[in-house]
Amino acid sequence: MKAPKRALLIVGSPKPGASTSESLGAYLLDELEKRGVKPQALHVAKAVRTDASVAELRAAVAAADLVVFSFPLYVDSLPAPAIRVLELIAADHAAGVGADGAGERAFVTICQSGFPEVDHSEVAMEICRNFARAAGFEWAGGLILPAGGMLGGQPLAKMKGMMRTAVKALDLSAEALAAGQPVPDEAIQLMAKPPIPKFGYRFMANWGWRSQFKKRGQAESLKVQPYA
Amino acid sequence: MNANPTGAVLLLDGRLDDEPTAALAHEALIDGLAAGGWAIDDWRLRDDKIAWCAGCFKCWTQTPGVCAHNDDGRAFAERWVRSDLVVFLTPVTFGGYSSELKKALDHVIPILLPFMQKRRGETRHPQRYESRRDLLVVGTVPAGRGDSAEAQTFKRLVQRNTLNMQPPRWTVGVLEEGAGEREVRVAVNELLAEVGLSGERIANGAGREKVVA
Repeated sequence: MKAPKRALLIVGSPKPGASTSESLGAYLLDELEKRGVKPQALHVAKAVRTDASVAELRAAVAAADLVVFSFPLYVDSLPAPAIRVLELIAADHAAGVGADGAGERAFVTICQSGFPEVDHSEVAMEICRNFARAAGFEWAGGLILPAGGMLGGQPLAKMKGMMRTAVKALDLSAEALAAGQPVPDEAIQLMAKPPIPKFGYRFMANWGWRSQFKKRGQAESLKVQPYA
Repeated sequence: MNANPTGAVLLLDGRLDDEPTAALAHEALIDGLAAGGWAIDDWRLRDDKIAWCAGCFKCWTQTPGVCAHNDDGRAFAERWVRSDLVVFLTPVTFGGYSSELKKALDHVIPILLPFMQKRRGETRHPQRYESRRDLLVVGTVPAGRGDSAEAQTFKRLVQRNTLNMQPPRWTVGVLEEGAGEREVRVAVNELLAEVGLSGERIANGAGREKVVA
């Protein structure tokens, strides 16, 4: 792996607004920029919307020597538009489009899920690793953040206290990636630590959902079965 | 209420193109299910209008159990709930499902509840409905890739799905492109038998795998 000059953040969340995936990816991109790497970012849902946006995606991927793919876990895997983006990139590679840089570009992933265990995300990480191999990228490592609901789409820099292990993990990752090294094991281990104990996370999440419904006076409707 | 004596099957066809082995598998599934007396709801997903799930969670908070976006994604969730058997047909895509299959599958969120509970050592969302449906998954891989890393990842993905979807019976098969019609039909019929057409049961959570070259 070579030291990258241009990094492309692909935000894999289909959310139109701020997302936790963007927050994590943007932090890593900022840290890479501080180390001299030119940044660019795009979002999957917009990238696959039109022929023009797909062309823009293709150009951005071709220009990058490091792709940061940050996505939320959806049903044990990647969100559909994130898969669509990977399908397009791999098809281009198979067709020889952008082949000039093949083998000299790296792929790093960040997967965050609402569950407090990393186990849920491990198959998604395997999928990303398989993609990297199929599309001619060097695998630069994968970070899994459990209990991503704690960040809730806010900028990571604002949450440094509670998210300090994630911040440290991304700092270590940026340092390594900018030097042409893969994400270190220490960063992977740090990122995998839930910000709070698992039982506390479940308690807070359940309390949060119930209180939302109570505020609306809809406590009874929470478990409705419209298709029963 | 399903009037069909065998049951209702939701067939989710996530093919991206007209690759012949997958087309044969689709035909074999339709024929096998029809012969077994199933009422087939065949979704060719690349022709269906289903928006990407935006992860807004309005289906948990504002319109409980119903996707806030009014398109075929709502009908998909309803058919899922009313089915007795769900079938996925997909090209194995880096070890996962195709984007076409996944655009539908991402819409299962409304059939879960937002709460978190610990079950068998992991946190999960409880099911909104008591009913469960069996699951049959058929993936296709390029010739010679039946034992590849992608095929292994694919089986692990299906297994992870079953932990959350809790199908009473499930099975997964991987077909290699280039397999002949007879081979495909035999493999598909065996998979169908494993989820109930022959009455043969699979131990809950055990699952089975098949590869046809």
